[in-house]
Amino acid sequence: MLEKTGVATEQDLKNSIPSKERLAKGPVAVIECFQRIPCNPCHTSCKRGAIQPFADINDVPVINVEMCNGCGVCVSNCPGLSIVIIDETYSEQEALVKIPYEFLPLPEEGSFVTGLDREGKPVCRAKVVKVLNTKAMDRTPLVSLAVPKDLSMTVRFMKLNDIYSDNTFVCRCEELTMGELRELIRKGYNTVDEIKRISRAGMGPCQGRTCRQLIMQELAASTGSKMADMPMTTFRPPVKPIKLGTIAGGADHE
Amino acid sequence: MRTTELAIIGGGPAGLSAAISAASLGTKVTLINRDDDLGGQLIKQTHMFFGSQKQYASIRGIDIAGILIKELEKYQDNIEIMNDATVISMYEDGVFSVVQNEKYIKIKPQSTIIATGASEKFLTFPNNDLPGIYGAGAVQTLMNVHGVAPGKSVVMIGAGNIGLIVSYQLMQAGIQVKAIVDASPKIGGYLVHASKIRRMGIPIYTSHSIKYAHGTDHLEKVTLSRLDEKWQQIPGSEFDIETDVLCISVGLSPLTELLWQQGCEMRFVPELGGHVPVRNENLETSIKGVYVAGDVAGVEEASSAMVEGRLAGLNAAEALGHTSRDLEDKRKDCVEQLNSLRSGHVGEKILSGLSKVTV
Amino acid sequence: MRIEEHPILSFDKGRKVNFIFDGKAYEGYEGEPIAAALHAAGILVLGHSHNKQRPRGFYCAIGNCSSCLMVVNGQPNVRVCTEKLQEGMVVETQVGKGDLR
Ligand SMILES: Cc1cc2nc3c(=O)[nH]c(=O)nc-3n(C[C@H](O)[C@H](O)[C@H](O)COP(=O)(O)OP(=O)(O)OC[C@H]3O[C@@H](n4cnc5c(N)ncnc54)[C@H](O)[C@@H]3O)c2cc1C
Ligand code: SF4
Ligand code: SF4
Ligand code: FES
Repeated sequence: MLEKTGVATEQDLKNSIPSKERLAKGPVAVIECFQRIPCNPCHTSCKRGAIQPFADINDVPVINVEMCNGCGVCVSNCPGLSIVIIDETYSEQEALVKIPYEFLPLPEEGSFVTGLDREGKPVCRAKVVKVLNTKAMDRTPLVSLAVPKDLSMTVRFMKLNDIYSDNTFVCRCEELTMGELRELIRKGYNTVDEIKRISRAGMGPCQGRTCRQLIMQELAASTGSKMADMPMTTFRPPVKPIKLGTIAGGADHE
Repeated sequence: MRTTELAIIGGGPAGLSAAISAASLGTKVTLINRDDDLGGQLIKQTHMFFGSQKQYASIRGIDIAGILIKELEKYQDNIEIMNDATVISMYEDGVFSVVQNEKYIKIKPQSTIIATGASEKFLTFPNNDLPGIYGAGAVQTLMNVHGVAPGKSVVMIGAGNIGLIVSYQLMQAGIQVKAIVDASPKIGGYLVHASKIRRMGIPIYTSHSIKYAHGTDHLEKVTLSRLDEKWQQIPGSEFDIETDVLCISVGLSPLTELLWQQGCEMRFVPELGGHVPVRNENLETSIKGVYVAGDVAGVEEASSAMVEGRLAGLNAAEALGHTSRDLEDKRKDCVEQLNSLRSGHVGEKILSGLSKVTV
Repeated sequence: MRIEEHPILSFDKGRKVNFIFDGKAYEGYEGEPIAAALHAAGILVLGHSHNKQRPRGFYCAIGNCSSCLMVVNGQPNVRVCTEKLQEGMVVETQVGKGDLR
């Protein structure tokens, strides 16, 4: 598949994802380079010898994650831009994904951008924690993105415009904005069901097809809960909706 | 008529490396290059190169050109550089004529290394001559050398390394790439390049081809179509993409006119991009004293072009009576580098091609 | 369209110069190919083919394909993808096979 689509599959990635134990210890390089090509700078640039010597320059890189401290030197030396640094110890809820980003303008530290997956699909809001651009990196800056922890193996790129900004609509049917959703979560509505009931999001004509995923992502981002652990929403008829200030109470669609 | 010991035609990575190694042994070299600047393809390559440290891996192509030129300057007493000078004809006695600033200059060298590189292949489809349809090399020249955007958006034909890399470079220049299209069911270029493109949300349509280009004065829209296993367009699978630029990157073929003119024995080897000269392990063609190196000898990569250039330079210099204590070591090193560069999956094709023309 | 900022490259453009294309005044940079200056000014059609009158732009940009022939300072059949722009140049679309008008 990879050779048809250019997107690594779970099968391809299986061996490149470090163990839970290793991830719990701190930052580490994740190498997504699966084809035999004549290339070895990852090995020669790693001062710690974490990337094993190549018997043949065409070898696929093999990393000893115990020797890697996640310094990131290999990232900006890799012509394939196929290495990222993952730090799952960044915070309770978030992991850092450090990506090479050779575009202008560079994002500003502290700003929010959109995290993209291996197909360029938006998957979450990401906070730009750091932008490193030293002379040694030779115009391949390293951007550190804070993303929900269970997306650490999903986010691999970013785009500058923050499509998850406060004024983005989460639910088009019921016109719930991201800002309003965040306010609800702050007030303690911490499950998809609760949010659904209070905001009616997911009860419009599309029946949650556009918003459920977004609400789950935002919950994961703000509460640290794992999307995989979230209970599926129940599909009950709506309880009495509570209107939010800015939401116009539309007609009952169901 | 001017004379020189060794004429090198082409100032790309192969020609530059040949000049360096021959001049380092004391050979008097004349380097003739059609472009204004030395570097060949390298001056358009903003990305980091593959290979190992010996071939300047992880350094950007544009900077590799600079490194080679600096090395060349060390031997400036032995090298005469003619830029903006095109070799237009070669005769069987080895004499050739150069046009520089509208002046004809005849040169008679004792030996010649031909390192003219390759030219782009074209593609046939209705309206393929509309303005807005450009070769990938032209797009690169326009945007990376002259700083002019080819247009607002681009559809790229060809998912080989060049198509993938030029797409990435277009995005870096702020131009939207709408899709990459390739007739083959598999991506031909390195998958790391493909993954880099996909992460930006650019689709790669394998088993697809262009059916039609639309526009009156210039390109406005292209119609793409899916292909079946026999590479035939599937009726009803067509769809349109609006775009003002279509970039064609369907491979290179060696630029061999001069070799034909000299009467070198040529063979058609698809693995190497088309007609290529028969050569021996010293990279000498069927004509004594005429050597080849780089893409003209078989379309490959800058990394191997540099090593071939060094090797041809050493061999030509030695045949002219120059030598050094470490000549044998240097030659061995070149051969080893070439073997290792070609030992992978991509190298298989090259090796099979080379076995058909190396005598 | 000029590329104003680039993550890898910086373009050191030459001096600004004026030139005339089909009777109208334009600006470009000294020493760049005429085709680049025209393209930057949004002029994509450089001429028409002599048989079928089809619009022609540049194709190879390195002087190989002759798709970009124009009349420059009265001289026909100039490949503008490699010909360098100079102050005061008069560039015209070529009619037919390059007979002087
Ligand atoms: C988009 C792109 C990306 C690439 N990426 C990589 C990469 O990542 N890694 C890698 O190793 N390789 C890469 N390559 C391939 C690499 O650029 C070429 O293989 C390499 O440049 C070949 O070198 P060369 O010296 O044989 O030819 P060229 O670089 O093409 O140089 C030939 C020179 O000869 C001159 N010339 C031609 N005819 C004449 C004449 N009659 N008289 C005088 N001069 C003449 C030309 O003007 C030119 O300067 C890439 C190529 C492209 C197009
Ligand atoms: S992150 Fe640092 S230590 Fe780890 S493999 Fe890369 S260069 Fe080596
Ligand atoms: S440097 Fe990057 S592309 Fe090259 S082998 Fe290592 S990981 Fe792969
Ligand atoms: S565009 Fe090909 S010669 Fe000018």
